[in-house]
Amino acid sequence: MKQLKIICQLLLDLLRELGDQNAYQRYLAIHGRKHSHEEWRRFCEEHLGKRYQRVGCC
Amino acid sequence: MVAALCLAGIALNRGEPINSIWLVLAASCTYLLGFRFYAKFIAARVMVLNNDRATPSERLRNGHDFEPTNKWILFGHHFAAIAGPGPLVGPVLAAQFGYLPGTLWIIIGAVLGGAVQDFVILFSSLRRDGKSLGQMAREEIGKVGGLTALLTVLFIMIILLAVVALVVVNALKGSPWGTFTIAATMPIAVFMGLYLRFWRPGKVLECSVLGFILVVLGIFAGQWVSVSSSLAPVFTLSGVALAIAVIVYGFLASALPVWLLLAPRDYLSTFVKLGVVLMLGVGILFVRPQMQLPAFTRFIDGSGPIFAGKIFPFCFITIACGAISGFHSLIASGTTPKMIAKEWHAWPVGYGSMLLESFVAIMAMIAACVLQPGVYFAVNSPAGVVGTTPQAAVATVTSWGFPVTTGDMEGLAREVGEQSLFYRTGGAPSLALGMAHIFARGGGGRAILGFWYHFAIMFEALFILTVIDAGTRVGRFMLQDFLSHIYKPLGRTSWLPGVILTSALIVLAWGYFLYQGVRDPLGGINSLWPLFGIANQLLAAIALCVATTIFIKMHRARYLWITCIPLAWLVTITFTAAYQKMFSSDPRIGFLAQADRLEAALKSANVAAVKVAETQTLIFNARLDAVVCGVFLILVATILVDSIRIWVGILRGTREARITEVPFVLSRLRPEEL
Repeated sequence: MKQLKIICQLLLDLLRELGDQNAYQRYLAIHGRKHSHEEWRRFCEEHLGKRYQRVGCC
Repeated sequence: MVAALCLAGIALNRGEPINSIWLVLAASCTYLLGFRFYAKFIAARVMVLNNDRATPSERLRNGHDFEPTNKWILFGHHFAAIAGPGPLVGPVLAAQFGYLPGTLWIIIGAVLGGAVQDFVILFSSLRRDGKSLGQMAREEIGKVGGLTALLTVLFIMIILLAVVALVVVNALKGSPWGTFTIAATMPIAVFMGLYLRFWRPGKVLECSVLGFILVVLGIFAGQWVSVSSSLAPVFTLSGVALAIAVIVYGFLASALPVWLLLAPRDYLSTFVKLGVVLMLGVGILFVRPQMQLPAFTRFIDGSGPIFAGKIFPFCFITIACGAISGFHSLIASGTTPKMIAKEWHAWPVGYGSMLLESFVAIMAMIAACVLQPGVYFAVNSPAGVVGTTPQAAVATVTSWGFPVTTGDMEGLAREVGEQSLFYRTGGAPSLALGMAHIFARGGGGRAILGFWYHFAIMFEALFILTVIDAGTRVGRFMLQDFLSHIYKPLGRTSWLPGVILTSALIVLAWGYFLYQGVRDPLGGINSLWPLFGIANQLLAAIALCVATTIFIKMHRARYLWITCIPLAWLVTITFTAAYQKMFSSDPRIGFLAQADRLEAALKSANVAAVKVAETQTLIFNARLDAVVCGVFLILVATILVDSIRIWVGILRGTREARITEVPFVLSRLRPEEL
C-alpha cells in the first residue's frame, strides 16, 4: 500500500513537472514571491519563451 | 532465456499467425538484458559514471533550467520529450515487409544503437554543463563540424515538418469527422490559453483535464457533423485544402504568443500522448491480439506499394525513431542534462527512456499487423499504384495474395464513420484502425469502433500538430539567428517584421515539400518519408561522431566499437539509401530516374495538354528531392571526414587530446533534496 502511494505520488509529480507547475513553484520560491496573475504571466514569458526556442523531437 | 526463446519463436514461426505477446516478451526481455548488462557496462567501465561528482543541476542550480530532479520524474520527462510521431508511423509503414524485419530492427537497433547514442550524448552533455550537440561538435571536432551540425538540424527540421504534416493531411482527407475533431482542438487550445492566463493562472493540470473533456466531446460532435447534410460538406476537405490549412496554422502558431495556442496544446498533447501510450500497452496485454500480417511479405524485393525499395536499406531508414533517431541527441543534450541530479541517473534516463520509446514502436508494429493484410495494403497504398477505383484497388491488392473485397472496405469504413478508407497513405489511418480494434476488443466492442478510430486519429493529429507548431517556432529562431549575421534586427525575437518574415520563410520551406507530397501521384510518403529517415539517421551519425571523438579524448579507444559499430551501420544504410534515392534506375525509387521518365513523357507528347505544367512541377520536385538528398550526404560526409582526421591525429599522437569536461567538484546533494 505504501509503495502504491509512492508510485501515485511520483506520477502526480511527473504530471506537475510536465505541466510546469513544479517549475512555477520553484520560480516563486527562488524570487521569494507569492502566486498571482502577474507572477504567472512573468513566469510564462520567461519559461515558455526559452522552452520553445529548443528543438523538439520527431 | 525468455528473450532468446521468444525471438526464436517469432523468427522461426511460419505459415500461421502468431500472438503479439511473443513480440512483447521478446522485446521486454531483450531490453532488460541490454539495460542490466550492456548499458551498465558502458556506464561503469567506459564512461565511469561517478555519483560523487556534482552534476550541472547541482553546481549551476538556478530553479529554472538547472534543477536536480528525481530520476523517475526525469525519466518520464525525457521520455515525453523524445516520444513523437516517428516511432508510431515508421513501424506501420515498414510493416509492408512483414512484421519480422521491422521488429528485429526495432529491438536490436535500440539496444545496440539508439539507446547507446542517447545515453552517451546525455553523458557527454552532462560533463559539459549541458552543452548542445552543435556546441559539442564545434568544441570537440571543430568549427566546420559545429556549423555542419547546425545546418543539418535546420534542413532536417524542414523535411520533418513537411512529412509529419503530410501524415495528418492524409489522415484527414475526405474525413469530416476527423477534420472537425482536429479543427475543434484549436479553439479548445485557445480557451485553455485564456483560462490559464486570466481565470486560473498556474492550474495547468486542472486546465488540461478540462481541455481533454472538451476534446472528447469534440469527437462525439464530429460524429454528428459527419452525418449532418449541411456541416459535413464544410468539413470534407481535399488534400490541397488541408495542406493550406496546416500551413496557415503553422504560421499562426509560430507568430502568436506561446501562451495563447502553442503552450496549452503542448500540455494537452503531452498528457494525451502518455495516457494513450499507456492505454495501448495495457490494451495489447489485455487483448493479446493475433498478428495477421506474415513474418515476411513479397515486398522485401523492393516492389512495395507503400514505399519503393528493398528491405536493405529501406526497412532500416523507414524505422528511425523506434530504433535510432538523431533527433534524440538534441533532447539528450538540451534540457535533460541540466536536470540530472546524480551521474548514475543518466543510465535509466538516457538508455532506459529510449528502450521505452522502442517499445512504443513495437506496439505500433503490433497495431498495424493485427489488421487483415488486405485491409492494411488497401488503406496504405496510393491510387497511383493500386488503381484509381475501389474495384481496381481491391483487385490489385488481392492479386498480391492479400484478399480483400470492396464490401470489406465499405463495411469497415462505415463502422469507423468514414466515407472511404482507400488510399489513406501515411500510416496514421491504419495505425488508428489497429489501435481501434485493440481498444474496442478491450471494451465496447465493434459498436464503438468509430469512436476509438477517431480517438486514435485525434491522438496522432494532436501531437503531430504540436510537433509542427513547436518545430516551426524553433526553425524560426534558428533562421533568425542565421539571418542576424546579414541584418542585425532580424535576430531580435521581439521585432515584428523579423518575426513575420522568418516565420513565413520557415513555413514556406516545409509547406513547399508538404504541397509537393500532397500532389504526388505516388502519395508523397514514398519520397518524403525515406528522405526524412535518411536525414534523421544522418543526424544520429553526427551524434555518434561526436561521441566517438569524446571517447578517444577520454583515452577509451579500446571501447570505440560501442559507438563505431552503430556509426558504421548508419553510414552504410544512409549512404546506400541516399545513393539509391538519387541514382536508382527504377523511377519509383530514384528521384532522377523519375524526373527523366516524366521528361521523356513530356518530349514524346504523352502528357495531356492540361497536365504539362503539373508534370513540369513534378520534374522540378524530383530533382529538388535529389539535391536535398545530396546536400544531406555532403554535410554528413564533411563532418565524418573531419572527425576521422581528428581521431587519426589523436591516436597517432600528432594531435593533442584536449578534453573539454568541466573539472571534478564533489557533490553535496542529499537524497532528501530531490
